[in-house]
Amino acid sequence: MSMSERKLTPDLFRRANLDANKSEEISKPSLSFWQDAFRRLRKNRGAMIGLFAIVFVIVFSLIAPSLSKYGMDDQELMRANLPPKIPGLEKIGFLGVDGVDIRGVDQYEMKNVAKDQNFWFGTDPLGRDQWVRVWKGTQISLYIAFLAATIDLIVGVAYGGISAFYGGRVDNAMQRVVEVLYGIPNLVVIILFIIILDPGILSITLALVITGWIGMSRIVRAQILALKDREFVLASQTLGSTSGRLITKHLLPNTLGAIIVTSTFTIPGAIFFEAFLSFIGLGIQPPTASLGALIADGFRSLRIYPHLAIYPASIMCILMISFNLLGDGLRDALDPKMRR
Amino acid sequence: MLRYITKRVFSMFITLLIIATITFFLMKLLPGSPFNNQEKLTETQRYALNEKYGLNDPVPVQYINYLGKLAQGDLGYTFQFDGRTVNSMIANGMGPSATIGFEALIFGTFIGLFLGIIAALRHNSFVDYGAMIVAVFGIAIPSFVFAGLLQYYVGVKLGWLPVAFWDGPEYHILPAFSLSVGVIATVARFMRTEMLEILGTDYILMARSKGISKKEVIIKHCVRNSMIPIITILGPMAIGLITGSLVIENIFAIPGIGEQFVKSINLNDYPVIMGTTIFYSFLIVVIILIVDILYGIIDPRIRVAGGK
Repeated sequence: MSMSERKLTPDLFRRANLDANKSEEISKPSLSFWQDAFRRLRKNRGAMIGLFAIVFVIVFSLIAPSLSKYGMDDQELMRANLPPKIPGLEKIGFLGVDGVDIRGVDQYEMKNVAKDQNFWFGTDPLGRDQWVRVWKGTQISLYIAFLAATIDLIVGVAYGGISAFYGGRVDNAMQRVVEVLYGIPNLVVIILFIIILDPGILSITLALVITGWIGMSRIVRAQILALKDREFVLASQTLGSTSGRLITKHLLPNTLGAIIVTSTFTIPGAIFFEAFLSFIGLGIQPPTASLGALIADGFRSLRIYPHLAIYPASIMCILMISFNLLGDGLRDALDPKMRR
Repeated sequence: MLRYITKRVFSMFITLLIIATITFFLMKLLPGSPFNNQEKLTETQRYALNEKYGLNDPVPVQYINYLGKLAQGDLGYTFQFDGRTVNSMIANGMGPSATIGFEALIFGTFIGLFLGIIAALRHNSFVDYGAMIVAVFGIAIPSFVFAGLLQYYVGVKLGWLPVAFWDGPEYHILPAFSLSVGVIATVARFMRTEMLEILGTDYILMARSKGISKKEVIIKHCVRNSMIPIITILGPMAIGLITGSLVIENIFAIPGIGEQFVKSINLNDYPVIMGTTIFYSFLIVVIILIVDILYGIIDPRIRVAGGK
């Protein structure tokens, strides 16, 4: 039987049952913008690792200091410069947490430290528990970071938003100010500021207040300028929305993506700046210590007591990398157009 | 274009004037004068010193004098050494700082370009991921941590390169490399995105279908066109290099401007702090201006119309 002999007869066909009601049905549940963004973020492995690392460090910095019976500045010269020792992990040589220094001497035995006393990150030259100092330092670094982000959010968003929303002469005047401020290197302003006030948390905070918000205000302004001329804003205006409603219901929610992404990148920037200032001696002053100050102290004796620099440096690197990864992920998830 | 440049140069001078004013008055706000603490000085001697440095004049007069001198490029005298000008200190430090900066910039740009290009060509492969991990680490790890680790492992443990100081070419390697890490990361990320975008354009497809070899298309069309927007990141990169040089020069004990600046901060040598601040600001403002103008020339689409 060849192909040509086979006839196509009508009884080979059957009418498909088309349900007019179901043809419009969407098989996948519809996702709001935020659900979609979250789904995209969850798929991004780097960003999720970053997020977990950040949460981990935050939780640890809050609870870890209370795990040691020593405070931030409990000095005891009898137990100075002890290398790290963690019970249970002592046998694993490459971790270097067996209480033996680089010369191969068990410092805990030599300095007659009680058997049940262990310093997980070792002690510093004044015999203070490095574990407590490192995590307290992390707290300070995080505090400065979130402070910078908050300032960014409040001042930057308000400034950029007002400038773009009211436009015209207001915008012109406000942008001239930003232009001048933008030209001033913020490093210079911060250093000057800290020389005038005494170095410490307060002056770092103020310095960040003065310089931190400019980038954010520019981004918000650009976004709102672009949104302002869109049809949905015009429609809302035509329906009689007030300025307040326009801003809170239409303009800000549509800018939120860019705002979140920008503040995620502000955080590592602020952490870096604080550490940088502490490193050149303008940051947090003793007896408190931030990560940057601990690293700076640790580098002085890097050859003999590497543990003093290595732990704060690794926590700092973990934080910086995590925030960067999370920021990249958020940017890809929230605003595919902004992808760089 | 000319109007735009004039406007920008004008606003640049306003910025510099404001910076100079802020620095001046902040310095005046500081309590005490440089000669208050030395009890050896008699009243007359102190008066003579104050007179010599113009500190007896009322503040507005000092401000005008200061601006006048500044306009002539005179940054005043340092307190650290007798009779040395800030200008000469900056001039002395300029050599090593500029050398390190340029070395880092050139090295970093080449490595960054290379990483970015291969990452884009092998998109979504291990090469790509590897290059981007390097880039994230380069952006995230502070240069002073990196410099310290390099110094410890390469300088002390392995002993391959000198740990610090400023001498022959082998002394340049570690500091220039630590400084260039940020540049490598920024350039690599930027280049990768640009390359990916351009690889997907129609004119690349066109060039390929005309029968031009892949190598030639990549070198002549992709890489060249991707490199144009890199000019935009030159400004932030220069600022990053200056910030980085402050710590790197300290860690490696290089007698540059950054090291002097930090030393002056710790010694309260105000003329040097002020002078260096203004010098840095000048540098950054000029770099940003040049970058903006260059960009307008190279890419006419960005031509700035009406100041917006």
